Amino acid sequence: MTMTPAITLRGVTVPGRLNDVNLSLGPGRLIGLVGPNGSGKSTLLQALCGLLPAQGEVLWNGRPLAGIPMLDRGRQVAWVAQEAHFEFGFTVRAVVGQGRYAHGDDGAGVDDALARMDLQGLANRPVNRLSGGERHRVLLARALATAAPVQVWDEALAALDVRHALKTLKLADELKRGGATVVLSLHDLRLAHCLDEVVVLSEGRLAAHGAPETVLTPELLMTVFGVTARPGPSLIIELP
Amino acid sequence: MNPRGTVERYALPAALAGFAVLVILSLAVGDLRLDPLRIWNGLWHRDELAAVVLYQIRLPRMLVACLIGAALSSAGLMMQAYFRNSLASPGLLGVSSGGAAGAVVAIGLGWASQSILTIPVLAVVGAFVATGAVVMLARSGAGTERLLLAGIALNALLGAVTSYVLSNFTLSYERNAQIIFWLMGGLEDRSWEHVWIASPILIGAVLVWPLGRPMDLLSLGATEAQSLGVNVRVLRRRMLALATVLTALATAVAGTVGFVGLVVPHLLRLMVGPEHRRLVPLSLVGGAVFVMACDLIGRSAGNLRLGIVTSLVGGPFFLWLLRRKV
Repeated sequence: MTMTPAITLRGVTVPGRLNDVNLSLGPGRLIGLVGPNGSGKSTLLQALCGLLPAQGEVLWNGRPLAGIPMLDRGRQVAWVAQEAHFEFGFTVRAVVGQGRYAHGDDGAGVDDALARMDLQGLANRPVNRLSGGERHRVLLARALATAAPVQVWDEALAALDVRHALKTLKLADELKRGGATVVLSLHDLRLAHCLDEVVVLSEGRLAAHGAPETVLTPELLMTVFGVTARPGPSLIIELP
Repeated sequence: MNPRGTVERYALPAALAGFAVLVILSLAVGDLRLDPLRIWNGLWHRDELAAVVLYQIRLPRMLVACLIGAALSSAGLMMQAYFRNSLASPGLLGVSSGGAAGAVVAIGLGWASQSILTIPVLAVVGAFVATGAVVMLARSGAGTERLLLAGIALNALLGAVTSYVLSNFTLSYERNAQIIFWLMGGLEDRSWEHVWIASPILIGAVLVWPLGRPMDLLSLGATEAQSLGVNVRVLRRRMLALATVLTALATAVAGTVGFVGLVVPHLLRLMVGPEHRRLVPLSLVGGAVFVMACDLIGRSAGNLRLGIVTSLVGGPFFLWLLRRKV
């Protein structure tokens, strides 16, 4: 069976930050991007979304990114920034509604996206008065509202409380089951068991890519992160 | 609903009502007071004295006030969205000082007496050269910080040019007075020629309209906007070009008038929220209202120059904002 990858990177290089990355990400997959601070995770995510100039080739569904008009891009790939800073006091609903810009501002699915991120109660609040975690949930809801089949979330879980982090992971799982490609960068390697694939970056290079259990070996953890890992008793936290 | 909902609903009708009132007051107030009936008769040439006052003095002055108010205010709105900062203004990129420098050079070299068009044309050229230089200087990266820094540098440079011309080139009192007119901004003796020169502002206003929605997205971050489908490069270029043209035309007919582009959009955003689809029409009308009001204040207070009045109103407003934010 050959399926066109949702995202293909060929020799993608961003001087000083990313070095000759080749990668194929398939539809219906939940993919985690890991690597130490400064290894190029955010740069890679922005490059695959076409948000920063990069050498090499980026393909979406086999089409070169350069040939895809901006509005189409907005419908195909949703990106959640690592930092959620808002200068102006748009309401939560207005910001989530911006996810429909590429769909002619039809407002479809905005309420659903608000509900999925537990934001109904905050819908009319100005977004610049929210806490950091709440702002992140607004950005996630906006990405959901785009209904894009590729969802790219940069450190989406880091700012969230434990319940919302688990809910977000569960949501990512549902999206993937619906055929979406979900790419998220994360630091907590203990969540790796939730992922279908892990992409490991080290100093701007692709260090490994594959199933979590085959990729995250003790050797790799030592060389990339400088840590050891061993199985042991651990607190199991789950949604009720 | 929240109180803002009410303000939002009535803001544009209220602004239009204020606009109508100020139009009438602008035509009525002056050495020769005209009541609405005389204005009406004057407009139809049934009252010749009133007609002369209206058509020779007050109508062109009022129209220029409306045009430059709308231009400066909407240019300020675009700058604030561009820089994602509600304290940005059209002066940041050196547009106004470029325009002023152009006009001052024209006067200083004695070209101004040759044609009424000389000063406006050179002001527009100066404004474009300034924006062009800033964009070129900031080219690599073209981030908003670089643009800002280049703008600050250019503003200083153009200020030096203006001061140099003022101190060295002009020997006549008359020319110096003319230069000071440009630097302080004013609406005295504005004629129909100035109305025509400023009239492309109307086209600019129409072109600003469709940018409202993408400006919403841009004001929350350029990368975010791009990820949502906005062609950020094209949008930014359009905003920069439009803000330059609008500011340049306003400067060309009235000199440098400060604070309008800062105060009006800022105040409107406080009142109706940050959505540009609402702010664009409001800032056009609100800018006209603000400048007409300032001009009326100036005329009633012994002919204070427009630039002085806008700064007198703008300065305290800023302090009030500061107090409010603490």
